[in-house]
Amino acid sequence: MAPDPMENRGAQGERMDHDDVPPTSKKDAAMGASKKKKDEKKKDDDLSEEDLALKQQLELYVERAQDAEEGIQRAALEAMRKEIRTATSSMTSVPKPLKFLRPHYKTLKTHYEVMPESELKRFMADIISVLALTMSEEGDRESLRYRLQGTVGDIGSWGHEYVRNLAGEIGNEFQQRQAADQPVDDLMDLVKQIVPFHVKHNAEPEAVDLLMEVEMLDMLMEHIDKANHKRTCSYLTSFASYVPEPDDMAVLKIAYKLYCKFSKYPEALRVALRMGNTQYVKQTLAECKDPLEKQQLCYILGRQGVSMELDDEMIDNDEQRELLQELISNSKLSEGYLTLARDLDVMEPKTPDDLYKAHLVDGRASAGASVDSARQNLAATFVNGFVNAGFGVDKLMTAPATDSSGGNAGGWLFKNKEHGKASAAASLGLIMLWDVDGGLPLVDKYLYSQDNHVVAGALLAVGIINCGVRNECDPAYALLYDSANKDDVTVRIGAIMGLGLAYAGSQKEEVLELLTPIVQDSKVGIDLAGFAAVALGLVYVGSCNEDVAQSIVLALMDRSEAELGEPLARFLCLGLGLLYLGKQEAADATMEVAKTLNEKISKYCLVTIETCAYAGTGNVLKVQALLSMCGDHLEKGDNHQAPAVLGIALVAMAEELGCEMAIRSLEHLLQYGEQNIRRAVPLALGILSISNPKISVMDTLSRLTHDSDSEVAMSATVSLGLIGAGTNNARIAGMLRNLSSYYYKDPSLLFCVRIAQGLVHMGKGLLTLNPYHSDRFLLSNVALAGLITFLHASFDMKTFVLGKFHYVLYFLVLAMQPRMLITLDENLKPLPVPVRVGQAVDVVGQAGRPKTITGFQTHTTPVILATGDRAELATDKYLPLSSVLEGFVILKLNPDYEDDHLS
Amino acid sequence: MPTVSVKWQKEVFSAVEIDLDQPGYVFKCQLYDLTGVHPERQKIMVKGGLLKDDADLHKLGLKEGQRLMLIGTADAIPQAPAEVPVFAEDLPEKEQGAAVLGHTAGLVNLGNTCYMNSTVQCLHSVPELRDALRGYSAAGANILDPLSHTLTVATRDLFNELDNSARPVAPYRFLTVLRDKYPQFGQQTNQGVYMQQDAEECWTQLIYVLSQGLKSSSINKQLSAPLVQELFGVELQNTLKCAESSEASSENETVFSLKCHISQEVNHLHDGLKHGLKGELEKTSPLLGRSALFIKESHIQKLPQYLTIQFVRFFWKRESNQKAKILRKVGYPLVLDVLDFCTEELKEKLVEPRRRQFAAEEVKAGLKKDEKGKVGAEGVKSLETSTLSERKEHDMDTDGSATSSTTKSDGSGAATEVSGIYDLVAVLTHKGRSADSGHYVSWVKQDNGKWIEFDDDQPTVQREESITNLSGGGDWHMAYICLYKARAVPPA
Repeated sequence: MAPDPMENRGAQGERMDHDDVPPTSKKDAAMGASKKKKDEKKKDDDLSEEDLALKQQLELYVERAQDAEEGIQRAALEAMRKEIRTATSSMTSVPKPLKFLRPHYKTLKTHYEVMPESELKRFMADIISVLALTMSEEGDRESLRYRLQGTVGDIGSWGHEYVRNLAGEIGNEFQQRQAADQPVDDLMDLVKQIVPFHVKHNAEPEAVDLLMEVEMLDMLMEHIDKANHKRTCSYLTSFASYVPEPDDMAVLKIAYKLYCKFSKYPEALRVALRMGNTQYVKQTLAECKDPLEKQQLCYILGRQGVSMELDDEMIDNDEQRELLQELISNSKLSEGYLTLARDLDVMEPKTPDDLYKAHLVDGRASAGASVDSARQNLAATFVNGFVNAGFGVDKLMTAPATDSSGGNAGGWLFKNKEHGKASAAASLGLIMLWDVDGGLPLVDKYLYSQDNHVVAGALLAVGIINCGVRNECDPAYALLYDSANKDDVTVRIGAIMGLGLAYAGSQKEEVLELLTPIVQDSKVGIDLAGFAAVALGLVYVGSCNEDVAQSIVLALMDRSEAELGEPLARFLCLGLGLLYLGKQEAADATMEVAKTLNEKISKYCLVTIETCAYAGTGNVLKVQALLSMCGDHLEKGDNHQAPAVLGIALVAMAEELGCEMAIRSLEHLLQYGEQNIRRAVPLALGILSISNPKISVMDTLSRLTHDSDSEVAMSATVSLGLIGAGTNNARIAGMLRNLSSYYYKDPSLLFCVRIAQGLVHMGKGLLTLNPYHSDRFLLSNVALAGLITFLHASFDMKTFVLGKFHYVLYFLVLAMQPRMLITLDENLKPLPVPVRVGQAVDVVGQAGRPKTITGFQTHTTPVILATGDRAELATDKYLPLSSVLEGFVILKLNPDYEDDHLS
Repeated sequence: MPTVSVKWQKEVFSAVEIDLDQPGYVFKCQLYDLTGVHPERQKIMVKGGLLKDDADLHKLGLKEGQRLMLIGTADAIPQAPAEVPVFAEDLPEKEQGAAVLGHTAGLVNLGNTCYMNSTVQCLHSVPELRDALRGYSAAGANILDPLSHTLTVATRDLFNELDNSARPVAPYRFLTVLRDKYPQFGQQTNQGVYMQQDAEECWTQLIYVLSQGLKSSSINKQLSAPLVQELFGVELQNTLKCAESSEASSENETVFSLKCHISQEVNHLHDGLKHGLKGELEKTSPLLGRSALFIKESHIQKLPQYLTIQFVRFFWKRESNQKAKILRKVGYPLVLDVLDFCTEELKEKLVEPRRRQFAAEEVKAGLKKDEKGKVGAEGVKSLETSTLSERKEHDMDTDGSATSSTTKSDGSGAATEVSGIYDLVAVLTHKGRSADSGHYVSWVKQDNGKWIEFDDDQPTVQREESITNLSGGGDWHMAYICLYKARAVPPA
């Protein structure tokens, strides 16, 4: 270190001191103690006797420390050190010894410079380093500098605050040295002392922060123990979402390793899933030895929608493997869902009229039309499907034919018109959702219908039933693959969409082989190619599969400009986007190719891929880029701003803070944006707050439902349905009822209102569309893909939802999941236990055992959980195998439990 | 032979022997025995594929105990109903109105013609009138003066158009004819703009013309009373009593509407009607030989099917030279009982129908369940003729003009079958401060029980509560004319 800058710093420090210490006292300090005493008498009047004594004592030490005699020096320094160390003080004020030594900081520094190299000099450095804690200017890092020159050893003894300060300075110093390419070994030595100190003193977050800054996270492995790994990991996992890639993976990797180290396999699995690392997932399964815990792991895998074949390496026992495979493939989902429904006593089927609650609407609701309206019947079909989803019974589609109604089986089916019959037949699939054994026989008879629309719907129903559920016999593919190449376009679309739904996320190769020729075939209509592309996108969601990408790109290149101008061409781009869902930079190559496409579609394609690739990453730069894109004024028929608006929501939805910010940004777009942007804003709000009816978002949307632009009103209405999806939210239901009377004359808007009503009461309030689960930690790619597909289709309501492709609504099935907590015993039978359910509280980085929920109520499982709710067991009798109480959770008896009543 | 297990719906058939040397069809027949599902309808899932009828089972690589899935049911294949449902969207546009919206079209305002539009909408709500008009033919031209004839025809055509249109109707022809017949409606301001008129005047004139025309129409020839009179006419028995002598006289009079006079004491329709039926006048008493105070009292002698009540809200203000409006709030009920205003004879006649009606309503409300049987038993005893006429009257409500004429031919028999209970079916309201300004709107109850507000070309559905809110007391729409319909009396 050069002396010049040091002197400069000293001078600065002196100037600083003018504020509180008069210069005279400073000079005096360097001179004789006798003279000083006199001068200071007045000033120190307000000091207590005791303090005064301490002050004088310290001044004496300072003087002696500059003594020529080594012995005296040493004694003085020792004494000073003792004073500092023993000083106990409140957190808010500077300890007395430090305060009284402040005036002498510079004196000591000057003296230090002239001291010969010796043990004493290092001793001196220690003390100056501590003094620098309060004296040195921001950014000077003097504390660190003197520390490095001081004695090597016990830094903790100087107090917690000192260590924290040091850690901060190390971080800065490290960055500077790295930039200048200087060695950092001495810093690392210090880090090695600081980290154990932090870890030992319940300051894991600080330790993690420090290691993060010096890029030595691996070091955590050796210092974290069983007692504190939980807090460390929760800190790691929660701040991973604020770290840019690829560092976030490194952070998660440490968390994963820590969990593995302490045999917390369910938690480890969650981290592995968050990373999307199949290798880790398999490894976790293989390492976990407890069969019960393994079953819990498989439940988690099933909820995330991971399709994987268990092999011998992971599970050696054949019988057990079969059971576990069943759990992964969600075969028990329907059963569990029905258990919940029975427990809550909501098995009784509901009719659309039960939801419309016409008696609550003032007389303005449809004035009892005498003739059936095809559109209203179609709306009723969807509503009936949504509300009875998964229950297996309803009053329109599955009800046995009665003579009084005069209809044969499928009476309601034929109350729909043409393509409406497709959606009606498919709604049967929705009602029988997840129940492969019970559902397929019901759908089967429709496959023989003479009416192509009915057949198409039945094929779609097969896909819906198998959505997220795998069966060893693989019936969906067997039933669908033939029809994908039939003559009739409707039938083909039904089969293709069915395949897309049934095998979403499975990367099933047969589907690839079946659908690629259809995508590339330039002779088929763009609608068919579009649906095939989306189906492929869903099956290979987030896989970056080269073959699929290539075939879709080729299709986009082959098509004529006129075809690319059609609304269905967007599905080709969307298929491409889904391939790279959440894969960030992996999409770069394809985006380059997209730039070369016909300008009619190029921009749309580019934005779609980019927004999909960064969906759920929280990348602020992308949000900014998208926002600026929305600021452009479009000259001609460009349509890429709608996906850009949606993209803001997709990128920002990663965590709560980003969500809030995105909602605010969208408000601005609403005020200043052009019409095509305003139309997409409600949809973006819809996904940001999906199945999470926040009052602020609700109010914004409610306002927009009365917008003068009917398309804005339509998307706002549908979005109201999305934010309330599966919540039975009374406020939204009321709003929609009012809308139904307000728009009773406008069939299109009324249709949207009905759909929204169906969504709000989805699964009678037992379902959610939220792609985030497991304490908002995991994002289900498949669910998100389904939502994105629906929202992209909603950009053009007239073509899709209001046109003849209304069955795009069934893409939402991909995101439908029961929002339940079912506790199971060791035989996987439902086990009712009391649980506390309340608002989740963020406890990351807090010491001790803080409360994790607030405003809770105690229920008995099974229970439903709202967004932002968290559950915890209200009994000590059992221990949950998963730390996050959501979905299926296996409980085992607590060996330490003692029944209070008996003792 | 290897065995497989076959899963069918929720059942599992374990250990089904499968002969690998036979084609797939044989295996299907084997399953047919087990499940009853015809082989043609069987779908057997083998490793993500379907088992073909001619498949070589060796090549499937079946393992011992492998689980196969059979899908198929013996259910009938759903057939489209023979009768294809008709959807509102398929209907031609002009039929969509009533079918989709559940109410008829509005009327376009042709320049200060809301008084006429609202009147027409109210009268249009009377099905009997519509039917009668439909039967009106050119023959009427011989009896009526030509202007009345054209106006009747114009009314008929306008009603027809209203029935069949989804879009607002522009009543050009009707308006022209109306102004031809009654030039006061063609009054113009200095700027040549047609002026606002009093809806009550329009109503009265229109009813008058129709009563003329429909009286003489061919189908109603044998009627004792003309149709319009039958429908709207209230027979009053006026008694004049001299306050000073015992002199009294009585006369009968038919009016088309009852007046509800509004004064300080009147808070409700009932008060107003009472007020309107009692009056004092000064006239020369032949007995006393000088003018004396006479008290005039009116009682209803015969009740109509439709009772029109006019609120006398306008009076001529001499100082401002215009019809000023009384804003006083006068409540009116959705169900009106006029028993109090009837003559003693009529009251007596009403006793029996009223009893039946109340009984029927109680049954309906579920208060007295066994009453129904009792009524039925009494029904047998009651006179054949009365049941007959009752049934006919019931038909009249639903059916066309042909039956209505036959009902009327029963004469007084039908007329007694009014219980004196009336339901509100239409309200004509006025908003503004004078009869010749402001805005007229009609509120009409539809057959399905919904209320529609016809604000010129804008029909909107309203809730029933908002109908009783039109009773005045502010600057909101207030009832000017109320049309009540007699509640059908159940057959004895």
